[in-house]
Amino acid sequence: MSTFSGLNTAFTGLNAARQGLDVVGQNIANSSTKGYTRQRVSTAAAGSLAQIGPLVLSRAQVGQGVTVDGIARLGDVILDGRVRSSSATSGNLAVRSTALSGVEASLNEPGTTGISSQLQAFWSAWGDVSNRAGEETPAGVLLQKASQLAGQIAGGYTAVDSTWTDVRSKLEGMAAELNDAGTRVAALNGQIRETLATGGSANEMFDQRSALTSSIAALTGGTVRALPDGTVEVLVGGNALVSGDVFRSVTIIGSNSLVGVSGSPVALEWTNRPGQAVAVESGEIAGSLSMLAAANASGTGGAIAEAAAGYNRFATYLATTVNVAHQAGSTPSGATGLDFFAVSAIGPAALGLSVVPTSAAQIATGTPGAGGTDGSNADAIAQLGSAANSPDSVWSAFVTTVGTASKTARQQAVLADSVTAAATAAQLANSSVDLDEENVNMLTFQRAYQGAARVMSAVDEMLDTLINRTGLVGR
Amino acid sequence: MVARVTSQTRMANSQLNLQSSAALLAKLQDTATRLKKITTPSDDPTGTADSMRVRAAQSQTAQFGRNVDDGLGWLSTVDATLSASTDILRQVRDLTVQGANDGALSPTAKEAIATALEGLRTDLLGKANTTYLGRTVFAGASDAGVAFRPDLSYTGTGASVTRRIDSNATVRVDADGAAAFGTGTGSAFALIDTIVADLRSGVNVGPNLGAIDSRLTALLNAQTAAGARQNQISAAKDAIVSKTGTLEAQRAGIEDVDVGEIVIKLKQQEVSYQAALAVTARTLQPTLMDFLR
Repeated sequence: MSTFSGLNTAFTGLNAARQGLDVVGQNIANSSTKGYTRQRVSTAAAGSLAQIGPLVLSRAQVGQGVTVDGIARLGDVILDGRVRSSSATSGNLAVRSTALSGVEASLNEPGTTGISSQLQAFWSAWGDVSNRAGEETPAGVLLQKASQLAGQIAGGYTAVDSTWTDVRSKLEGMAAELNDAGTRVAALNGQIRETLATGGSANEMFDQRSALTSSIAALTGGTVRALPDGTVEVLVGGNALVSGDVFRSVTIIGSNSLVGVSGSPVALEWTNRPGQAVAVESGEIAGSLSMLAAANASGTGGAIAEAAAGYNRFATYLATTVNVAHQAGSTPSGATGLDFFAVSAIGPAALGLSVVPTSAAQIATGTPGAGGTDGSNADAIAQLGSAANSPDSVWSAFVTTVGTASKTARQQAVLADSVTAAATAAQLANSSVDLDEENVNMLTFQRAYQGAARVMSAVDEMLDTLINRTGLVGR
Repeated sequence: MVARVTSQTRMANSQLNLQSSAALLAKLQDTATRLKKITTPSDDPTGTADSMRVRAAQSQTAQFGRNVDDGLGWLSTVDATLSASTDILRQVRDLTVQGANDGALSPTAKEAIATALEGLRTDLLGKANTTYLGRTVFAGASDAGVAFRPDLSYTGTGASVTRRIDSNATVRVDADGAAAFGTGTGSAFALIDTIVADLRSGVNVGPNLGAIDSRLTALLNAQTAAGARQNQISAAKDAIVSKTGTLEAQRAGIEDVDVGEIVIKLKQQEVSYQAALAVTARTLQPTLMDFLR
């Protein structure tokens, strides 16, 4: 042990305290940076040097001070994983809930502006026509109410259609976001690997990458696997989206409109492998894809397409029910077998519903043979609204179905949100910077620095005695 | 392990709490201004279905109300016309009794009676062809414009005019002209024609009194039937008025909120939101830095 080793020990102390203060400074500077994970300087006591030779004064040796091993990033892999999986679920459910509430808003129920009240006005108009069969005024009101009803059904369908288009265009945005995040994760992977290989600290890059993998998880439910070289692998549906510094991009394929979706379903697929769909289980993209799916026979298809199919079924049912009754009656001049509603064969039924008669003379108000002013058939049609299996009850069932689905989706989304909030809070509790704690650390390092400096001056004084004052006894 | 609490977690928590409290307040404010429990079907899917059902029933009842008003118009026209017709036929009977006094009446006097009877016949035919809002009230669903043509043939097709007073019942609001006045040669008009002809040709008109009486009975029968239906339809009107009230109460129960309740809830939420704000403002301020020199 040399005479000057005490100075060196004090110097390592000064160095460690300064590094510690620097890290505190970094933490405080980033205390409100999103995604920043607090850091700590990790130090270790340096051991003593081995003693060899005859001039050893003492076998008991003190250590050589302190070494700075590195700057630790105090993140928690498990907490990060929880945030990723919960945000995947809540992203999925939030997309579903938003789309369903869009569909629900198109219903305008309950109230005086929805299809139910238009239907009631329609049946009432038939009642008035029944009282004044063959007269133009009530017939005009009826025809106007009927075309209003047809217009409202078309309006509802259009609103559902635009909800679909909305979700579809957002999905394109999500895929672009996913590709962008994936590219950046791959680039960061490369940089991190190089930095770590050269012994540097990549903490800030870890933070950035963690934020990106979280957004990938929220989009696709992608899972993250850490590799020994510091890079991560991002897996979506079991296949690697990012592996090392390689990124495989994805694209959205399929119909751009609700009408065409049954022929060409919307899907996410690997760009370099056309035809091979990415199996997204969760996240916003999976939510959007499930919303955009085509309707099926059992009514379990995509919620938006099912709602559109509901409008079509309602339009067809209304037209059929009224037409059957209308055909049985006769016009004031005795013509029978006439339709009241026509449904266009091209395109969705909800958009193709139109009213056939244009005047009182073409409305089958009476029972055949009962006379020109007979209103009994009009009365029978007016009663369709309260009959069993009436169009009203079909509509009411449709509204209830949509309402229940929307309610369930909203409750699930709220629940998933609270789970995500809890996971995020746990992650924040672990990784966020606490100013009180940093203040305490700052004091500690400040005092440690002062102490080391004091040790240094004490050693200096000791050496001064040895060098300058030795042999001056009695002078 | 005690969860680590940092300034950031406290900030995030306060934000979350304030947000949820504000969302609740906004929802209550919305409800309090609209005064509606259900704004979208998802608020209460069953309630929505109920609301639509009640509104449908309300609209239907309003329609029945209009039908009843229209029916009452028809029936009072029928009633007034039938009673005027009875009066005319009574005058015809009086004149016939007068005309039957063969010995006391000069041919001139008989001619005067015959002329008066002709005038009454025109009146009676006018009554039989009475219209309400452009439709003959004694010819059912016929669109001929008159109930009895000049040749005294009846235009009715047998189909009656009815008005729906509730989902299961309709009421006839016209009267059968054929039954009340008779048709063709058997009609009241043909009978008067016969009497006039008999008076002019000197035949005794006394035997016609029996026929006049039977026509009077037919008229009275028709009037009684119309009166009974008028009663029925008036009762239906009362039922509709009370049903309208019941349905409105049902609708309000399903859709509307209790103002007192919502105001109290709103006040409570306001207080708790303000408390949350105040507490947040106090707890977020101090850090160790405030105490270090």
